[in-house]
Amino acid sequence: MPDKIKILYIDDEPDNLVGFKASLRLQYHIFTAVNIPQALSVLDNHPDIAVVFCDQRMPGKTGVEFFEEIRISHPKPVRILLTAYTDVESIINAINRGNIFRYVRKPWLETDIISAIDEAHKFYLANSALNTKNEELQRAYNELNKFAYSVSHDIRGPLSGILGAINIAREIDDVEEMREMLFLMEKSLKKLDTYILSMHDYYSLQRGELKIGEVDFLALFDELRPLYDVLAKTNHVDFKVDIQQEEIFRSDAVPLKLIFNNLLSNAFKYQDKKRAHKAVTVEIVVKKSIATINISDTGIGILGTHIGEIFNLFYRANSQEVGSGFGLYNVKTALLKLNGQIEVNSVMNQGTTFKVTIPSI
Amino acid sequence: MSFIIVDDSELDCFIAKKIIGHTDRSIHVDTFQIASEALDFIKTEIPARTDENKTVLLLDLQMPLMNGFQFVEEFEKMPSDIQQKVLVVILSSTRNSNDILRIFTYKSVHSLMEKPLTNEKLITLIRQASANPLA
Repeated sequence: MPDKIKILYIDDEPDNLVGFKASLRLQYHIFTAVNIPQALSVLDNHPDIAVVFCDQRMPGKTGVEFFEEIRISHPKPVRILLTAYTDVESIINAINRGNIFRYVRKPWLETDIISAIDEAHKFYLANSALNTKNEELQRAYNELNKFAYSVSHDIRGPLSGILGAINIAREIDDVEEMREMLFLMEKSLKKLDTYILSMHDYYSLQRGELKIGEVDFLALFDELRPLYDVLAKTNHVDFKVDIQQEEIFRSDAVPLKLIFNNLLSNAFKYQDKKRAHKAVTVEIVVKKSIATINISDTGIGILGTHIGEIFNLFYRANSQEVGSGFGLYNVKTALLKLNGQIEVNSVMNQGTTFKVTIPSI
Repeated sequence: MSFIIVDDSELDCFIAKKIIGHTDRSIHVDTFQIASEALDFIKTEIPARTDENKTVLLLDLQMPLMNGFQFVEEFEKMPSDIQQKVLVVILSSTRNSNDILRIFTYKSVHSLMEKPLTNEKLITLIRQASANPLA
């Protein structure tokens, strides 16, 4: 059963409050207040109150004045004025200043109240949905701005570099020098390519629907492993994978692979080149419908002051030019879709461990 | 004449160095991919320089950890005799109007050049640096 609609009624006559509550408490969750300070504290403590009824004649403040105030401080609840007065002046004020939704005459009839609540609640729901949409839209706009900004750097940057290189290639005769430049050009192009692939991941994560199926981590790693085995061999990194799964785990393999690929490529990318023994370790334990994944490296580590920001879009905590600023943001988005969590533990010049927990769906 | 290049992109550093080398072999070039290292270099090396021209600093804007703006802010905290010996030129691929407006709010920034650096742009730059000899 859905939760009862929450309603606040403010009246300085306790008898009215008791009567209101007595006749409506079965259908609705009723809060009452005998004065305005009490009403404000109820609104503060229960931000999900959908409808507020207020008597017009109150000591100190009128109902209209109260509504005028909460219109700003608590804009979400729908406002309904209860009054025995029917003079045009107060009705106009209630509408214009208090921006009320309905006006119910005292003494009230239960059917009037119920129909007012139903209408007000529909209005409340529509407004809440609109607010949520607006927030989503605002977030999307903010990301679009970040994108527009990053395009000039992350796409135009490598391109202008390559154009510059072509420009000077005309004046280079030395083959060695040319090779060096070709190597750097290739690096720039690979970076651009990674950026575009990550952008594709970003988009599919934002728009794609989940496809839930049984996930066998051993089989998943058979698929992922060859690529990292090559990396481990060429960079002299000790790469270990330990998987313990004795139960069925249900999830979407696509975002899971994305998480593994990003965390693993980071673990290899940010190794300390001077270190004699380099290692990347993956431990996966599936127990009680939860997969706990630890990915550890012996890399350069992340400075404490950057840890809070590494999951932000386009944030790069390293001055090496290898990062696109997409990877961990995509990991975070993928985990959000899978209801998962991530924790980071990092010691400078020692290494970093990402701990991921994902529930079976 | 001397140049300092600050750019996180290895390719862009390489290009700038080559273009300068091809234009005038006598120009001394130092390149830095990490902005903070360039700041340390300026602090320690610039006071001793006795060149008759200012050292030209080609500065990229978008860099991780310390970007061009943060670099300029730190640079402007240095003693004025160091600042006077350096001509700060922004070399960036940015088309963002906020970036462009912002960069000119710093009094130490001399000019903005769009990437990539070319022969013509460099010749203009050398002319500008020679036109402002140190007293």
